[in-house]
Amino acid sequence: MILIPCPNCGPRNSSEFTYEGENKERPNAATATKAQWRNYLYLKNNPLGWTTETWYHSSGCKKFLVAERHTMTNEIRSTKALGHQGGAS
Amino acid sequence: MSRNKPVKYSALGLFKRGLSGKEWPRVWRDVELKKTYDVVIIGAGVHGLSTAYYLAKNHGVKNVAVVDRAYVGGGGSGRNTAILRSNYLTPEGVRFYDRSVDLYRHLAADLNFNVMFAPRGHLTLAHNDGALRTMRWRAEVNKVQGIDSEVIGPEEIKKLVPYMDVSDETRYPILGALYHPPGGIIRHDAVNWGYARAADAMGVEIHQKTEVLGINTAGGKVTGVRTNRGDVSAPIVINCTAGWATLIADMAGVKLPIITHPLQAAVTEPVQMFLSSVVVSGSLHVYVSQTDRGELVFGASTDPYAAYSMRSSLEFTEELAGHVLELMPSISKMRVLRQWSGLCDITPDFSPIMGFTEVEGFLVDVGWGTYGFKAGPASGEAMAQLAATNKTPEIISAFDLARFEEGRLASERGAAAVGH
Amino acid sequence: MSGAQGSSRGAHRPGEVVDRNRTITFTFNGKKYKGLVGDTIISALTANGVKIVSRSWKYHRRRGVMSGNYHDPNCHFQVNDEPNVRGAHRRLEEGMVVSTQNVSPSLKFDVGAVNQKLSRFLTAGFYYKTFIKPERLWPTYEKVLQRFAGGGKVAATGHHVPADKRYAHPDVLVAGGGPSGMSAALSAADAGSSVLLVEEEYELGGFLRWGTGDELAVAQSLREKVAAHPKITTLTNAVVAGRYDQNWVSVIERGLPVVMESLIKVRTATLIAAPGLIERPYVFEGNDLPGVMLSTAVLRLVNLYAVKPGERAVVFTGNDSGIAAAEALRAVGVDVVQVVDARHGGGLVRATSSRGVLSGVEFSDGSKVLCDLLVVAAGWTAPTTLLNLSGNHPVFDEAGARFVPGPDLDDTVFATGGLVGDGTIDEILAHGAAVGRQASERARNGSVTTVAPAFSPDPHLPLFFGTTKGIVDFSEDVSSKDLLAAAHEGYDSVELLKRYTTATMGPAQGKLETINTVAVLASANGESIEETGTTVWRPPYVPITLGALAGRSYEPVRYSPMQAWHESHGGINIVAGQWMRPEHYGDAAKEVSTVRSGVGIIDVTPLGKFELKGNDVSKLLNLVYVNKWSKLEVGAVRYGEMCGEDGVIFDDGVTGHLSEDRYFMSTTSSGAAGVYAHLESWLQTGFPEWDVTITNVTSAYASINIAGPQSRELLSKLVSDVDLSNEAFPYMNLRTGTIAGVPGCHMWRIGFTGELSFEIHVPAGFGAYVWETLMEHGADFGITPFGLEAQRIMRLEKGHFIVGQDTDGVTQGFSAGIDWLIKLDKDDFIGKPELQWQHDSGAGFRLVGIHPNDPKQVPTEASQIVMDGTIQGRITSSRFSPTLNRSICLGLVVPALAVAGTVVPIRLPNGTIIQGTVMEHHASYDHEGAKLRG
Repeated sequence: MILIPCPNCGPRNSSEFTYEGENKERPNAATATKAQWRNYLYLKNNPLGWTTETWYHSSGCKKFLVAERHTMTNEIRSTKALGHQGGAS
Repeated sequence: MSRNKPVKYSALGLFKRGLSGKEWPRVWRDVELKKTYDVVIIGAGVHGLSTAYYLAKNHGVKNVAVVDRAYVGGGGSGRNTAILRSNYLTPEGVRFYDRSVDLYRHLAADLNFNVMFAPRGHLTLAHNDGALRTMRWRAEVNKVQGIDSEVIGPEEIKKLVPYMDVSDETRYPILGALYHPPGGIIRHDAVNWGYARAADAMGVEIHQKTEVLGINTAGGKVTGVRTNRGDVSAPIVINCTAGWATLIADMAGVKLPIITHPLQAAVTEPVQMFLSSVVVSGSLHVYVSQTDRGELVFGASTDPYAAYSMRSSLEFTEELAGHVLELMPSISKMRVLRQWSGLCDITPDFSPIMGFTEVEGFLVDVGWGTYGFKAGPASGEAMAQLAATNKTPEIISAFDLARFEEGRLASERGAAAVGH
Repeated sequence: MSGAQGSSRGAHRPGEVVDRNRTITFTFNGKKYKGLVGDTIISALTANGVKIVSRSWKYHRRRGVMSGNYHDPNCHFQVNDEPNVRGAHRRLEEGMVVSTQNVSPSLKFDVGAVNQKLSRFLTAGFYYKTFIKPERLWPTYEKVLQRFAGGGKVAATGHHVPADKRYAHPDVLVAGGGPSGMSAALSAADAGSSVLLVEEEYELGGFLRWGTGDELAVAQSLREKVAAHPKITTLTNAVVAGRYDQNWVSVIERGLPVVMESLIKVRTATLIAAPGLIERPYVFEGNDLPGVMLSTAVLRLVNLYAVKPGERAVVFTGNDSGIAAAEALRAVGVDVVQVVDARHGGGLVRATSSRGVLSGVEFSDGSKVLCDLLVVAAGWTAPTTLLNLSGNHPVFDEAGARFVPGPDLDDTVFATGGLVGDGTIDEILAHGAAVGRQASERARNGSVTTVAPAFSPDPHLPLFFGTTKGIVDFSEDVSSKDLLAAAHEGYDSVELLKRYTTATMGPAQGKLETINTVAVLASANGESIEETGTTVWRPPYVPITLGALAGRSYEPVRYSPMQAWHESHGGINIVAGQWMRPEHYGDAAKEVSTVRSGVGIIDVTPLGKFELKGNDVSKLLNLVYVNKWSKLEVGAVRYGEMCGEDGVIFDDGVTGHLSEDRYFMSTTSSGAAGVYAHLESWLQTGFPEWDVTITNVTSAYASINIAGPQSRELLSKLVSDVDLSNEAFPYMNLRTGTIAGVPGCHMWRIGFTGELSFEIHVPAGFGAYVWETLMEHGADFGITPFGLEAQRIMRLEKGHFIVGQDTDGVTQGFSAGIDWLIKLDKDDFIGKPELQWQHDSGAGFRLVGIHPNDPKQVPTEASQIVMDGTIQGRITSSRFSPTLNRSICLGLVVPALAVAGTVVPIRLPNGTIIQGTVMEHHASYDHEGAKLRG
């Protein structure tokens, strides 16, 4: 049960989160070729080592965060909140 | 040194050697790694070993080395819950897995090694009408291909599995199940050893503790591999790894649409036999069978995030236990004895990736997710044919790497995900 | 046979835990025996002179007490309805029914013992070499093999009482309550940390409990200090079963009343492993005979339970534990005829038997001694499991002949006691205290300043196997002969050897077997133990019941506020995802007719509902839906479909424009959570600058669809502040007003059923009230409640598809027959690239309406459409329409068949083929929608 340091809530059990997957840069949908688009949809780096990925605190603050995690040790060395903290402020 | 058939195993042989005390010969030789082969296969699991076996047996290609960084069958082939079935969703999937089950049926005799295939009958439970419809879909697709599958109701399920709670009292009552009588279980290690022994007898070399460190290419063609025991040249290199598929493919400069997730399993202490069928529940994400030793073997879904660690988790056994007891509430005093983990390579459409890549001579037999072991024989047969003839056999034509870029996904999502 | 007040109990022992004044009656294999309060099953049996307590699994060899602890593989029993009870640990209880497992017909005359005679032929792995032909007989062979499966019986009926789990968050978790563990706990607590101390025996003390008078005094003193310390929580008869990522630790509390055991999930800042040492068996011919016991088994039986394990004893020892056992035996009147010390050159050759039990011992000097008890003290195994699970790689200490922690210990995990070294009591306590301080420092400060004193194993002879072959794995009946044969056959790495012979795969999971197995393999390969390595240590450290792991089920059932009304008015429930809702009220066809001719109401509360607020909502709608939303006026409602970036349809619903910056979105019931996450994902990760807030109001509103030609008249009776006429409130519009006096209700005119209908969303607290009011006022119109099935029939009559039923995981937008909805001239929206390509290529199945030519034939859903031997489509929805008095279907077919008028063969489950005709529209009823728009 790894601990994910949620930027809003602090370290919480990973069972509170939904894993969204390895981050991938989205190509320009208007100009992407089929190969580029399907690369984006289906190809990931799948590294053995540090990876950058998104988690969603589905059973908590419902915010998305980006984490850097090591895929062998499950150590998380950074998490970052994403924009849109909600509402007109 | 090349012989063709291994020294025969039989009850008479046991008796004779028991009397004389003479030892059996080695299952496979321990030989030096040569500098060149016709084919190098990376991964000594059921896929790699069966490919080597069929290369030698069906195509006379014997100058083959199977290399593995650990021991024979140490990866997914030795960690799975050994369930065999062919009740898949897509016609191409059904055809393929059924060929594999058919080969499994005769494997003990073919390899002269008891692999203990027991057609116990396979049940996939449906707990809501959507799932029941999917079971019906699978049953009908199966029937068109001549596979024995049918949808049965709670009463018939109860006859097959007396310990199952088929009442309305459960949180997700069982509405029915896809019943596949030819499905069953097998001794996975025996399959690995049997293929290794038979391949070795025909001249194939098996090299354990031999780690591939790099793949050499020149001008868009593969030329060989670099290992911790030396460099080897070969015009054909086949990636038969699971869990490491992208790491190996990266060495050849080939990108694969695969993500790697751990898959856990657990076993209980042995008790007297009470469960003869293999039981799977997609909604409850659990599958269970009872081995001849009397132990229950369980599995569930893959771990929810990508990782290469094969460490076990507590939440896996907690969820698993909860769901198993929903199905069979009276077994709560059985004890979980051990849990373990392996790695699964997951593709976008839950079907494997087999055949040619953009690097000539570098072939792949990967992306086997949670359904690789049951596919071993048919994969080996097809990959051997592909490697020997340089043409893709029809039975695996739907599983080519190019399908992703070309938008031709083969979607087994309904059947494969937690189907076992 | 009595044995009550100690017919085989020796003189009083200072550390004894039995109460000689309180007896317990129990049965063993049908025979009555007596024991004492405080006895374990095994100590009571031994006190009664029972020497043979079980038969081994494979060869059915007679077995007696061997290690006499929890892990003793010879001491498993069926106790009442519980299989595989560890008899050397489980305390005796009044009326216990104890029996041996896997013997037939009885322990004494077990037919399986014929295996023993065949053992030279039935070597480990023999079954791989036989039963190969004829193939069709394998199931029969299998049944024969299964009869020899070990283990007890599990009941067919009965529910378990849920064992609640709990959590703990100590600063320091100490696994093991022996002297080192107690010392560590005390010093960590003194340093200010909260400590959880877990001990697998019924009381703290570890090996001190069966020690000398001084050792007993030390144990007592430590126990008192621990009990008095406010910062230490102690659990006995509890085990640390596994250590997972970041010190997530499972602890099993056993021996609880009502529930057998329960799980505690601990997140501890630091973990101290202090499990002590496990005595290791010695491998020699006859080592599994009843009467051969390890020294700690003897020390426990004698010093804790005052039991005489035999009359005439011989001791073979390589350390002081054997000497201590000899002294203890003498103290209770056992005749110790010989003590052979390996440290002085003594060697044990074999044990011999008579009538299946130990009768004598042969030594390497040629001497033969008669005895009924052989005490063996060959050395210790370090239970490194917790360290391995922490990522540590223990190393083999050659001089000490056991594994010690490797240098790569995680900095939040510590070890003390036997795991680390040997010493005097003071040295053990000092090391424990230092480690306790270290763990406390690490927990509090994140770093360690205390230095622990040097502590390492004493030298020990490497006594793993002697000169003869003996049993290595007692539960699996694997001998050193089996191991050597397997290794020579090529199963020569430790994992292959384990899998082939099954050594270490039994209930002790290697704790008593692994080191000897590795030692034998190492000798076969000419390697060291370190080079050979061990198999992987996995959790759980001790087996855990499914009941404890499962705990209590927390799968909430969701109900609408009107559910009680449904159930008391004939509603038959269906499980729909997390929700329970009515499928029908007795006659779905009648519900359909009533709705189409009059009016009916359905509870659609499970519908996903979101309020979207902000200046950029229409941008979000344009992004997630395939159609256009910028010009949706206030008060208007539009149907929308959502696709993924792969172009696959994943949800649909209607969204209405409530006011300038507020919209109301609906989704499918099962898709609600997914759509919410989808919307938030795009907002937070893609367009954080947009001004949009989403509130999930699915449960905040009770939703009711009032459908039928008289729906307007009915609703008018309850609404006065909104003009419900068709001119003022047209189709695909929404209004907000007061219904039955409840303000703030949204109403919209949409048309899933195809009738004039008003879907109202009422603040949930008033849902039941509004429902009942509708029913009351609707009585004049002959109102009926209708359920999911009637709704399904009506939507099918109208040709409305259901995402996930009429579409699947590969169905892209242009397959569903709503091409007009997909606006490819829009700017980038989710799914656009793939939808463009699908549009250009025309690929993918097509959803069409199909009418079976025989109107009475209702094909089963998922019936396949097979032509030329290949599957060309399937029926996705199928019902008998009471409105049209014929069967109607939707199906997915290849594009070539998706032409109106095409006749397709439909294969029913029983194999018969019927013909169906592809229709022009999906709708079979009012496809122009006249009824909706009225």
